[in-house]
Amino acid sequence: MFATPSADKQRRRALRSAPSGPLRDYLQTPFPDPRTEVGDLQLLAVDLETTGLHPKNDRLLSIGFVPIDGLSIDLSGARRFVVQAGVEVGQSAAIHGLTDDTVAAGTPIDEALPVVLEALRGRVLLAHYTDIEERFLSAACERVYGTRLPVARIDTLELHRRLIVGWGQEPMRLALRLWAARERYGLPDYRAHECLIDAIACAELYLAQVAEMRSHGDSVTLARLVS
Amino acid sequence: MSVEVELAEVRDFLAAHHPFDDLPLQQLERVATTLKIEYFRRGTRIISRGEDNHHLYVVRSGAVELHDMHGGFMDRGETGTSFGSYTLVQGNPANFEVVALEDTLCLVMDAGTFHDLAAAYPIIGNYFDIQRTSRMRGAVASLHVTSSGGAILKTKVTDIITRPAVSVEASESIRAAASVMSERRVSCLLVMDEGKLVGIVTDRDLRNRVVAAGVDTSLPVSQVMSADPATGSADALAFQILMEMTSRNIHHLPILGCDGTPEGVVTTTDLMRLEQTNPIYLVGDITQATDVAAVAEVSKRLAPVVELLVTQDASAEDIGRIVTAVGDAVERRLLGLAEEHLGPPPVPYCWVSLGSRARQEQALAADQDNALILDNDVQPEHAAYFEALATFVCDALVECGYPRCPGDVMATNPRWRVPLSQWRAEFTTWLTEPVPDAILRASIFFDMRPVYGDPRLFQKLRKHFLKQAPAARLFLAHLTKRATENEPPLGFFRGFVLEKHGANRATLDIKRGGVGAIVEIARVLALSVGSRAVNTQTRIAAAVDSGALSAERGQDLHDAFEFISYVRLRHQAAQVRADRETDNFVAPDDLSSFEKRHLREAFAIVRSAQSSLSHRYPSTYVS
Repeated sequence: MFATPSADKQRRRALRSAPSGPLRDYLQTPFPDPRTEVGDLQLLAVDLETTGLHPKNDRLLSIGFVPIDGLSIDLSGARRFVVQAGVEVGQSAAIHGLTDDTVAAGTPIDEALPVVLEALRGRVLLAHYTDIEERFLSAACERVYGTRLPVARIDTLELHRRLIVGWGQEPMRLALRLWAARERYGLPDYRAHECLIDAIACAELYLAQVAEMRSHGDSVTLARLVS
Repeated sequence: MSVEVELAEVRDFLAAHHPFDDLPLQQLERVATTLKIEYFRRGTRIISRGEDNHHLYVVRSGAVELHDMHGGFMDRGETGTSFGSYTLVQGNPANFEVVALEDTLCLVMDAGTFHDLAAAYPIIGNYFDIQRTSRMRGAVASLHVTSSGGAILKTKVTDIITRPAVSVEASESIRAAASVMSERRVSCLLVMDEGKLVGIVTDRDLRNRVVAAGVDTSLPVSQVMSADPATGSADALAFQILMEMTSRNIHHLPILGCDGTPEGVVTTTDLMRLEQTNPIYLVGDITQATDVAAVAEVSKRLAPVVELLVTQDASAEDIGRIVTAVGDAVERRLLGLAEEHLGPPPVPYCWVSLGSRARQEQALAADQDNALILDNDVQPEHAAYFEALATFVCDALVECGYPRCPGDVMATNPRWRVPLSQWRAEFTTWLTEPVPDAILRASIFFDMRPVYGDPRLFQKLRKHFLKQAPAARLFLAHLTKRATENEPPLGFFRGFVLEKHGANRATLDIKRGGVGAIVEIARVLALSVGSRAVNTQTRIAAAVDSGALSAERGQDLHDAFEFISYVRLRHQAAQVRADRETDNFVAPDDLSSFEKRHLREAFAIVRSAQSSLSHRYPSTYVS
């Protein structure tokens, strides 16, 4: 996982070669300062649904996101797209419930990406196991803009590992683990596997985790959350 | 491009919880997109006392506890409960605190969205009104936890009746009646005819009217009974009944239920059994006063008695009745003295009280408001007698501490000293051709109660105007406008909205938008359903009984009226103690934080009742 300073260095490096357009606009805004207190930190909780786990072969099917300003989730900024993937959803339909027809009627990725990038600008990407979100979004940017997507990120799965005793959950059962982690904080049950709901669920988990860390009395900064 | 904002999860959650379940789903979907979500770890203070709050919180999961300003438990909220509406409706800062009892996730609505929703959906606004006021009810109840001596003031007359009424039929013989009395060991017997009370016979009657007079005991008992006796109502307080008996110098008073059936008889023995408390003796002394100076001397004792009652935690309602009863005794005695002085009246008349005394809500230092209903047989040559009578009584009332009415609503004003027929015409004009100015002055006449003389004159007049009132929509609309134009000082908590002018600068008028507004609301409602009730609390109850007011709102108004009146009385009692003139202007510094908080809630009830009343009788066409 990248620490934030190097993430911002990556951003500046990428800016040098980025073509003008939505990605360049995104890259021009600095990532949050690692010293930022969580109370002032701006994040975007993102959840994706895909045809599989490999960005090279698999495709993005839908994107859901919701901004977090400090310690408050802002539902007015919540969005969800079904993406026109151009592939059959196949077996993955069993997980996310998206049909070929729904996907075919979705938003082309080159129209969806600018909205995501605009929302993510200046914010930290938050996800439960960020690798999936980061890699799929990056691959999409590479396809559309020819440049990878550097992000500052916080992973609620990683935070969960740090906060509880016990390591080594299997990456294959990520979704399950998001709900298991929420249970620890008495967060409500939602219908899983809808990307906007998952993004909100992840954001709520983050608020609970941060509240727990703050309850120990120390100040909690972005640097503490990423490293 | 299809951008979906599908917050079905949030929408469905709201749809499953009151009051949001009353909103259309589409509306909830829009509401969902304006919300924020926040998380509070157990023990976190979500709203703090003395700090501003601008949000309505809905518990999504977890639990919270509400505490009042003294840290006392108010309420506990679990999933689906809302809190924070207090400050949104009544202003900041918060006078309560909300603490997360468990780790709690909340949906957070901003003030703008809340107000838009409450405006668009009255059901939402009402729900939060009720939520607040149900928390207030505890406060009113806790006010009257009696210390010593308080209980006697709250004793209902039905509580001192020791056994059921004993009665005989009017056709029974005197001998049969006497043996019933001796069998049942009662000193007083009720005489009934077709289920109605027609008379009363006492031991003393048997001695004086039968034995001493040598009357044949086989004659019907109706021949020797006291016909049409005075009666008391079963919902009266023991105090009132006893004062009534003392002032009329009677020893037995039948108590009738609301359907007119006798429930029992109160005797002087019952009176003796009760603690000997000041107001009773006060009334007794007034009744025995032989001249105006003596009446005036005794009535000076009223203010300290009220002060005592306040310290004894008597309710405002009880004290209002006591002050009224003393006032009645003074007026009756003065009228008696006037008749002794002027001779018996040439034709029957009825002396009536108006306004607060009629409603039995008289405060200290209230103006005199009275009028005379003369029999229709009155002749021009009788005018001088009634003018002299009115002048005698009104002058004497001033001596006794009841200032003249600034609006000249007194029996000394020839306009308010007219025959029944003229009173009827006057009321018909008010009801059928209402003129705003005239209505303003006339409303006081709809609070009328007979004090002395022939009550039938009053009863005929009442029958006349109550028959017309419910259909007099324009008149009711005028009254409504008047009842709703004095808005309660709800800015109270936000640094107080205070009287800005004159000697009462920086004080709060708790009469105008407070008790005064409730009195007016109750009057409109009672008249609209043709109720005889005159007392404000009784009017509220009558409005509830007839369906003009929901039971919930009725209870709220009852509590609000009691609470504001109580604060007013305490204020006035303190002025009496400091030897100052009494008024209705309360300085915020003189209020405890408890009083401030509940006043604010009481005022909110008044405002909400005003707004529903104006829907009932829209005054759109009234200028």
